[in-house]
Amino acid sequence: MLYDNLSLGFATASTLANLGFCFIGVLLGTLIGVLPGIGPTATIAMLLPITFQIGDPTSALIMLAGIYYGAQYGGSTTAILINLPGESSSAVTAIDGYQMARKGRAGAALATAAIGSFIAGTVSTFLVALLAPPLTGIALQFGAAEYFSLMILGLISSIALASGSIVKALAMVVLGLLLGLVGTDIYSGTPRFNLGIREYSDGLNFVAVAVGVFGIAEILRNLEDEHERSVAVKKVSSLWPTREDWRRMAAPILRGTFLGSALGVLPGGGAILAAFASYTVEKRVSKNPGEFGKGAIEGVAGPESANNAGAQTSFIPLLTLGIPANPVMALMIGAMIIQGIVPGPNVATEQPALFWGIIASMWIGNVMLVVLNLPLVGLWVKLLTVPYYVLFPIIVGFCSIGIYSVNSNIFDLYSVAFFGFVGYVLVKLRCEPAPLLLGFVLGPLLEENLRRAMILSRGDFSTFVTRPISATLLILTVAVLVVVLLPSVRKKREEVFVDDE
Amino acid sequence: MKKLLAALGAAATMSLTAFSAGAQTYPERGITIVVPFAAGGPTDTVTRLVAEAMSKDLGQQVIVENVGGAGGTLGAKQVADADPDGYKLLLYHIGMATSDTLYRNLPYKTLESFEYVGLVTEVPMTILAKKDMAANTLAELVDYAKANADKVTVANAGIGAASHLCGMLFMSSIGTPLVTVPYKGTGPAMTDLLGGQVDIMCDQTTNTTKHIQAGTVKAYAVTTPKRLDVLPDVPTTTEAGLQGMEFGIWHGLYAPKGTPAEVVDRLSKSLQVALKDENVKARFAELGTTPSPEADATPAALKAKLESEIARWKPVIEAAGQFAD
Amino acid sequence: MVIDRANALCGAIFIAFGAYFGLNSLGMELGTPFRMGPGFFPLFLAGILIVLGLVIAIQAIRVEGDPIGSFPLRGMAFILPAPVIFALTLKGLGFVPSIFLTTLFASFASTRMRVPTALALAVVMTLFTTIVFVYGLNLPFRLFGPWLGQR
Repeated sequence: MLYDNLSLGFATASTLANLGFCFIGVLLGTLIGVLPGIGPTATIAMLLPITFQIGDPTSALIMLAGIYYGAQYGGSTTAILINLPGESSSAVTAIDGYQMARKGRAGAALATAAIGSFIAGTVSTFLVALLAPPLTGIALQFGAAEYFSLMILGLISSIALASGSIVKALAMVVLGLLLGLVGTDIYSGTPRFNLGIREYSDGLNFVAVAVGVFGIAEILRNLEDEHERSVAVKKVSSLWPTREDWRRMAAPILRGTFLGSALGVLPGGGAILAAFASYTVEKRVSKNPGEFGKGAIEGVAGPESANNAGAQTSFIPLLTLGIPANPVMALMIGAMIIQGIVPGPNVATEQPALFWGIIASMWIGNVMLVVLNLPLVGLWVKLLTVPYYVLFPIIVGFCSIGIYSVNSNIFDLYSVAFFGFVGYVLVKLRCEPAPLLLGFVLGPLLEENLRRAMILSRGDFSTFVTRPISATLLILTVAVLVVVLLPSVRKKREEVFVDDE
Repeated sequence: MKKLLAALGAAATMSLTAFSAGAQTYPERGITIVVPFAAGGPTDTVTRLVAEAMSKDLGQQVIVENVGGAGGTLGAKQVADADPDGYKLLLYHIGMATSDTLYRNLPYKTLESFEYVGLVTEVPMTILAKKDMAANTLAELVDYAKANADKVTVANAGIGAASHLCGMLFMSSIGTPLVTVPYKGTGPAMTDLLGGQVDIMCDQTTNTTKHIQAGTVKAYAVTTPKRLDVLPDVPTTTEAGLQGMEFGIWHGLYAPKGTPAEVVDRLSKSLQVALKDENVKARFAELGTTPSPEADATPAALKAKLESEIARWKPVIEAAGQFAD
Repeated sequence: MVIDRANALCGAIFIAFGAYFGLNSLGMELGTPFRMGPGFFPLFLAGILIVLGLVIAIQAIRVEGDPIGSFPLRGMAFILPAPVIFALTLKGLGFVPSIFLTTLFASFASTRMRVPTALALAVVMTLFTTIVFVYGLNLPFRLFGPWLGQR
C-alpha cells in the first residue's frame, strides 16, 4: 500500500516538467531567501504569484514546496554568513554558524547545514508517508494545557542557549515574552503596550525584531573597532567539512531529525521549538559544552536538521487536516485554493496523485537543495571577502525592503531601528539575543494557551497535572531544570568570586 | 526660488490635466487591490481570483497587496488615504461594517471615506459542533447549550472574525451567553474543534465544507435562505427553527473617496465581467459560495448593504460589550 | 567599592523595561483565574523581569567586570536612521529614489567609505533591487512617487 502510494507519488513528481518546476522553485527560493532581511515567509509571499501562472495544481504545489525549501535554506545561509536570521529557527543556527564563519569555517557550516537538512528531509519524508494519519490523531490530543506545558518545557530548556550568565539569559527570555505580547489582547480586544500606535496592534514584526537584535547589532559591533581591525572574517580555510567534522555532525543530525519530526507534527507551534530544543540537547550531551556559542559544529548540525525535519512534518496537519501550522503553511493553503484544491481531511483519498506527489516532491526538493547548494557554498563564502564596509549598506538596503514587504507597514521599519539600538546595547552588556527571540515567538503562545486552558478548565489550575500529556511534559520540565541547573550551581559555588558568568 | 516655484506649479498643473485626461483612457497602468488581511486567507483567495479575471477585462495587471492588521482597518485606512485615481482599491468583507462599531476610534469614516464599486460575493456560514456532540439537530443543540450555558464552549478566530460575529449572533438569537474561547485565526480554532477541545464553532463554508463532508465535525445548519448545493443535507437556520441567524460574510470592492465616477463605473463593469468568469465561478463553488449577481455588483447595492449591515451589527456588538480598541 | 558598570546598566535596563510593562499592565483588567484579563500575564512577567534585573544589578556590586567599551557613534548615526529614511520617503518619493537614498546614507557609517564608492554602490543596489523586486517579482512599489510630480 505504502509502496503503491509512494510509487504513484514519484511517478507524479518525477515527470520532466515537475522536476523542472521543483528545480526552479528551489533555485528562486534560495536566491531570494539568501538576500539579507528577507525571511522565508516574505520569500514565499513574493514568489507565490508566480506559481499561480502554472495551470496544473500539482506542478504549482511542487514548485511552491521547492520554493519553501530553498527559502528556508537561504535563510540559514544569511544566518551563518552575516548573523541575520530570517525566522526563529535560524536564530539558533546563527549562534554557532556565524561564529564558525568568523573563524573562516563558513564553508563547513553551510555544507553541514545542507547535509543535515538533506538527511533530516529524507527521514522525515518517509515518516510523513508512513505515519501521517496516526500522528494526526496524537496531535489532536494536544489542547491548550498541553501546549502550555510544552512551551514551558521549551522555555526552561532555552537556558542552555546562553553561553554566558544564566540570569541574564532568563531576563532576555522574559523580556522577549513581554515584547511578544505587544499588540492586541485577543481575549478582550484591549490594545497593549503599543504606545497608542495602531500599526503595532497586531504585534511587533518578528523579522524586524530579529534583524534588529541580530543583524543591525552585529553591523554596529563590526563598526566599533574598524580602525584597528582590517578584516572581520578570518581567511577561509576549507570549504568542506573535515573528517573530524563528519564524525561530530552525525549524531546531532540524527537526534535533530527525530526531535524536529516529533515537534513538527503539532499544529499549535511545535515546529518553533524544534531548533531550540535540538540545540539544548546537543549542548547537554556534548563532552565540551564550552565550545557552544563559539562555533561548535554540533550547534549547526542539530538545529538545522531539527528545523528541516519540523518543516517537513508540519505538512502533516496541512495535508491531513487542512490546517496550517504556521504562516508559511497558510500561504500554501492559499495557493492550493487558488489552484482549485480545498485542503481538508479528504485530500489523500480524493486526490491521491496530488497528495503523494507533494510528499515525493518533498524528497526531490531536498535532493535538489543539496545538489544546488553544495556548489553554491563556494560562491556564498566568496561573498565574505567583500569588504565589510561595502557589504553592510547592501544589507541595510535589503533589510529595509524585506521588512517592509512582509506587511507593507512602515512602522516595522521603525522597529528595526529601535531594536537595532536596544539589541546592540544589550549585546554590548554581554546579553545574548537568541533567548530574547525565543521568548518573543513563545510569548503570545504561552499566554494564549494559559488563558485558554484556564477557561476550558473553569479556572482550575490542576488541569495542567491531571491531563496525562501535560503532566508528562511538566515532569520533563522539572527534570531538565535539575539537569541544567545542577552543574551550573556547582560551578557557581566554585567561581563565585571570580565572575558572574 | 521663484523660478523653482513656477516650475513646481507648472508640473502640478500638468499632472492635474494629465490626470483628468486620463479618466477616458483608464486604466493606463497596473491597479493594486489592497486586501486588509494576510496572504492565504479566504479574503485573499477571493481577491486573487477576482483580480485575475478583472485584469483580463481591463487589459492591465491587477496586483493584490496584503496589508494586514487591526482587523482589516489598517488596510482600509491605507486605501482611504490613497490618491482617488482608481489605481488603489480595497477588497474588504463584512468587517467594513462591523469595525464601525468594534473600533471606537477608526482613523477613517466608514461611510464617508470610500466610493463603492460593488459586492463581490457572500460566503455562507455553518454552525458546527465537535464530532462526539450528543445533539443531532440544531434544536437539540440549542436545548443542550441553554441547559449547560456555563459549560458549553464556543470557539472563535479572534475579535471581529467571521466566527466571532457568528458566535455573538448565535448567542443573541438563543438568548443565552455561552463560554467564548478566542483563538488567533481559524486554523487553531478548527484544530481544537476537531480534537474535541471545544464544543461549538460557527464559520465560513470556505473553512468548513471539507470537514463537514469528511464527517470530522457535526454540521447543524447553514445561515443562508436556501440550502447549499455542496451541503444538501444541512438545513438552513430558519428550517431548523432558529430565527434571525441569516447572514453571510459579504465582500465588497471599494475605491478612495473622490475617485471619478467614470472610473468607478469602469471598475464596476469590470467586476461584473469578472464575476461571470467561468474560473471564478468554479473556484467559488468549490469554496461553497457564489459570485454576487450582476445587480449586486454595483455601487448602489454595496452602499445599501454597508448601511444596513452597520445598523444590524451595532446592537449585537454593543450588547456583547466587546470592542477591539 | 567596585561596580561592574556593564551589569549595573544591564540590570537597570531590565528593571526599566519591567517597570514599563508592569505599570501599563496595572492599568488593565487583571481578571480572575477562570477568565484572566489582559493585564494578568504581563504583570506577572514584568514582576519576574524586575526581580531578575535586581539580581543582575546586585551582582554588579560585588565584582569588577570588563569595561563596556566605546560606542561606534558614527556607525549608529548612519545605520540606525537608514531604515527610517526608507520608511519616510518610500510613499512620497517612490521606490527608486528611496532605496538609493537609504543605501547611500547607510554607506557613510564606515570611515573607510569614499563618496564615489558610495554613489556607485547606491546606483548598483538601486538597479538590482528595482529589477528584482519591481520588475521581476512585481511587488506593488511605485518607481517614482507623488513628491516628484508622478501620479
